Amino acid sequence: MRVTFKIWRQEGPDDKGVIRAYEVDGLSEDMSFLEALDHLNELLVLKNEKVVAFEYDCREGICGQCGVFINGRAHGPHDNITTCQLHMRSFNDGDTIIVEPWRAASFPVIKDLVVDRSSLDRIIEHGAFISAKTGTAPEANAIPIPKDVSDRAMDAAACIGCGACVATCKNSSAALFTSAKINHLNTLPQGKAEEHKRVAEMTFQMEIEGFGSCTFTGACEVECPEGISIINIAEMNARVVKSKLLR
Amino acid sequence: MTLDSKIPEGKLEDKWRNYQVKSQLINPANKKKLNIIIVGSGLSGAGAASTLAELGYDVKCFCYQDSARRAHSVAAQGGINAAKNYQHDGDSVYRMFYDTLKGGDFRSREANTYRLAELSAPLIDHFVQQGVPFAREYGGTLVNRSFGGVQVQRTFYARGQTGQQLLLAAYSQLYKMVRAKKVEMFPRSEMLDLVVIDGKAKGIIVRDLVTGKLKRFAADAVVLATGGYSRVFRLSTLAIGCNGSALWKAHKKGALFGAPSFTQIHPTALPQSSEAQSKLTLMSESLRNDGRIWVPKQKGDSRKANDIPEEERDYYLERRYPSFGNLAPRDIASRAAKERIDAGFGVGRLKNAVYLDFRHAIEKFGLETIKDRYGNLFTMYKKITGIDAYKEPMQISPAAHFSMGGLWVDYELMTTIPGLYAVGECNFSDHGANRLGANSLLQASVDGYFILPNTINNYLASEIKTDHPTTDHLEFEKAEKETKAHIERILAINGTKTVDHFHRKLGKVMWQECAMSRNKSGLEKAITQIKTIRDQFWSDVKVTGHDKEMNTELEKALRLADFIELGILMCTDALEREESCGAHFREEYQTEDGEAVRVDKDYSYVSAWEYDNGDFKLHKETLEFEFVKPSVRSYK
Amino acid sequence: MNPLFFRKTIIAATGLFLCVFLIVHLSANCILLLPEDIARDLYNSYSTTLRESPLIKIIAYVLYASIILHAFYALLVTLRNRKAKPQKYVVNHSNENSTWTSQNMGLIGTIILLFIIVHLANFWARIKLGMGEEVRLDDMGNKDVYEVTYNLFQNIYFVIFYTLISIPLALHLHHGLKSAFKTLGFYHKKGLKFLAKVSLIYAIIMGVGFGIIPFIVYFK
Repeated sequence: MRVTFKIWRQEGPDDKGVIRAYEVDGLSEDMSFLEALDHLNELLVLKNEKVVAFEYDCREGICGQCGVFINGRAHGPHDNITTCQLHMRSFNDGDTIIVEPWRAASFPVIKDLVVDRSSLDRIIEHGAFISAKTGTAPEANAIPIPKDVSDRAMDAAACIGCGACVATCKNSSAALFTSAKINHLNTLPQGKAEEHKRVAEMTFQMEIEGFGSCTFTGACEVECPEGISIINIAEMNARVVKSKLLR
Repeated sequence: MTLDSKIPEGKLEDKWRNYQVKSQLINPANKKKLNIIIVGSGLSGAGAASTLAELGYDVKCFCYQDSARRAHSVAAQGGINAAKNYQHDGDSVYRMFYDTLKGGDFRSREANTYRLAELSAPLIDHFVQQGVPFAREYGGTLVNRSFGGVQVQRTFYARGQTGQQLLLAAYSQLYKMVRAKKVEMFPRSEMLDLVVIDGKAKGIIVRDLVTGKLKRFAADAVVLATGGYSRVFRLSTLAIGCNGSALWKAHKKGALFGAPSFTQIHPTALPQSSEAQSKLTLMSESLRNDGRIWVPKQKGDSRKANDIPEEERDYYLERRYPSFGNLAPRDIASRAAKERIDAGFGVGRLKNAVYLDFRHAIEKFGLETIKDRYGNLFTMYKKITGIDAYKEPMQISPAAHFSMGGLWVDYELMTTIPGLYAVGECNFSDHGANRLGANSLLQASVDGYFILPNTINNYLASEIKTDHPTTDHLEFEKAEKETKAHIERILAINGTKTVDHFHRKLGKVMWQECAMSRNKSGLEKAITQIKTIRDQFWSDVKVTGHDKEMNTELEKALRLADFIELGILMCTDALEREESCGAHFREEYQTEDGEAVRVDKDYSYVSAWEYDNGDFKLHKETLEFEFVKPSVRSYK
Repeated sequence: MNPLFFRKTIIAATGLFLCVFLIVHLSANCILLLPEDIARDLYNSYSTTLRESPLIKIIAYVLYASIILHAFYALLVTLRNRKAKPQKYVVNHSNENSTWTSQNMGLIGTIILLFIIVHLANFWARIKLGMGEEVRLDDMGNKDVYEVTYNLFQNIYFVIFYTLISIPLALHLHHGLKSAFKTLGFYHKKGLKFLAKVSLIYAIIMGVGFGIIPFIVYFK
């Protein structure tokens, strides 16, 4: 099949950036979207042009490194998948595919489609852990955790940190990301000791990093590859209030 | 060179304690003065970084990804083994040790393997404390499932995302120590060389992948936690960025490479569908718990899977290995699949797959139970292939997966370069010639959290007295210069072929001759072919852009240059080992019905290769089996 | 409290208060649907009661404050949110993952705010502040608010304006009501599903109610 890629090209953080069109032939429907970009890059090399910088690593939807805005949707036209799981069979022969980097003040563009998501790491840095040293753990079955509690924690913990929620949110809010981590740890008995401190500090960091606030458009849970529910944000809001009252 | 494995004295179960009792200690005030570099932020790297930082060392941690959370430990699906015996099914540390040793076809050290089993139980305690949401029973206790090569249930899991959950726990601990200012994290940084001063590892040269700048970092010890090198096959279950460069650079600087040809082919990955494919997605081995593997009895059967009646299906694993059935170890399951596919019974569009069927399991346990156990794997399968595996069987195929081989390390996880350690998949330590499922997360974690933090002090205690290295040392100067020249040389070739072109060629040769089954003439041919690929690469590769910017093409080229050389070593090792053991199957050494023939009297050793100016010199660490008598590995 | 949450909490709390107010407002408006002789007296005496009750006075101040705070903090939140996304996508199919309303609450809110200003000028300014033409007294000595209303809605342009504005109002209420609960930390899964239905019904009632009354008065 043959498609036209319209791709955001930007040399560096200070460069203005522009959309460029590339016609690519010889693609097959079984190719993943990223493999089609690989193919484009090989063609560019042979034409003595610089390759398009884009991110990927595991290519099986779990590492969270890939992620671009494809035809007006984070991770492409389907709900709840990663860019690497998108295949060319989702497009038609002759389609024009517009590819843009994640857009958010907290995700500055590094080059082409590559953005800096270290702001998410810094949210994690501010309390998304249980402060217990290696070697201090009690017997694993000492604290029974009911299945539904453990399952709820797991639902939230599934976040892969790709940043699609921020990218798709009109406010660039990191509420889904932050709430998923907070709810994962605060739901488990192991995380209780630091629950209020964790909520206060992580949400404060979210503010410092320049993310917007959540207005519940619901776009994030549709684009989230792990389908993390927006109810997590409501739960985080409850925890914020609780932490104010109890801390 | 004599290889001293430094196995402590005493009974098997006392060795680790005896080691700890005798190992040197460092007082907290001195720990602050000691710097440790850790390359890699996966389970072993992040685990080691956070634990060493907790102990008081000054740690710098590097990874090539944009965040430590991307490391490929994240992709392990099935679970982590531990000898907890929660299921009351006769498990024990000894049994787990024996299973692992036998699974590895008696090509690993008893003491190391025993320690792995011994430390598995506290590791589960540790991860539960860190907030890993392992699967639980309604009553709140932890659940286990069984895994390949084992007859007890000792695998702990968090849905099909166990690796992710463990890695995220390690990552959060890492960032806890980043916040405490005890770890400095350097993402998007790739180690391009090791700096050795007076025979000791004292630092690394790193390329900043954003600016392209080469940077020098000095330390009192260097820890490699860089994972596996199976991307040498190009098509593998590994992340695209996974590479063997750090290992290779260390190898070239003098670290011996242990059992490079021991690479595992995973039986349950998605089959290749096109030439352009960049990756083979793994479907967790845990699926074999409830799924049954079969091919049609009739050659080239073109009917749809569901149209083939029960009596015309060949459940070949159950047929050949009645006692383990679908849970035969990976190497055996992979080889059996290859045998059927090669014989013309393969299924799928390219006839390169076998069926993994859940019909019986769904009938027996109900759809909901199967959904609860494997839901996300079925969803993933559907996302990639568009097929609903609840209704028709999955199509699976073997794919390059884990590398048991890696830098040779002693009991302390130190390589043959003093001060250079290798932890996790990048070392050769516990798995022998084949790794059992769910032992990989275990080994990475145990190495990083429990072993290294207890052994590194034994070396560092003596380093307090010596001068701390600085980056203006001549050796740093030299290493940086060499790295720069290496990069410039690649950019200057300006040939006519892309990096991927050469990687595809290398992958094909390696897959053909050095994967599931190997033979003498094939390996000899492969070595010649790879040397040709190497020469063509260095005369005809084309990399656009320059080195002072983010240049993903250059990154690939640098990694491939090392893979090519590593490929030669792998074939050399496979050629040298004239026996079949574990994942290493030499066609000349098999029984009439196609089972492996191990040759203990000649090959009961770990091959450790020394780099010798483009050539390789073999050293042998003879394996002494003091407590267990190596038996013929049978899963029948 | 963290400004990201503080601002949204104020918006949600004031929003919920305004939602309750609208119920009272619409109920009172329903008096206009009665036959004229009953409606005039009832409506006028009701509005006199409202103006003179000290309790209602306090509530009225809360109401003014709510409108101002709601709009003010919504403005702050919107400005901050815009700053958080300085560069927009060339193509954005946000309609595929969210409703148009949820993406445009600021715009809809602004329209409603403009309406409120006109609305206040039409009624509050005349009746309460005594601006413009003096309001007559009815037979019982109450200010004839009914007359003011009736006269206003003899003007077809005002009728159309008031009716049209009920559309953004309904949209705003629909998204606003269900979001307000989530913002305030209500996270019960089934409860939220129920609330989503309640919000829809509430928004329809408010939209239809406020939308048709001017028409009915016009044809009375």
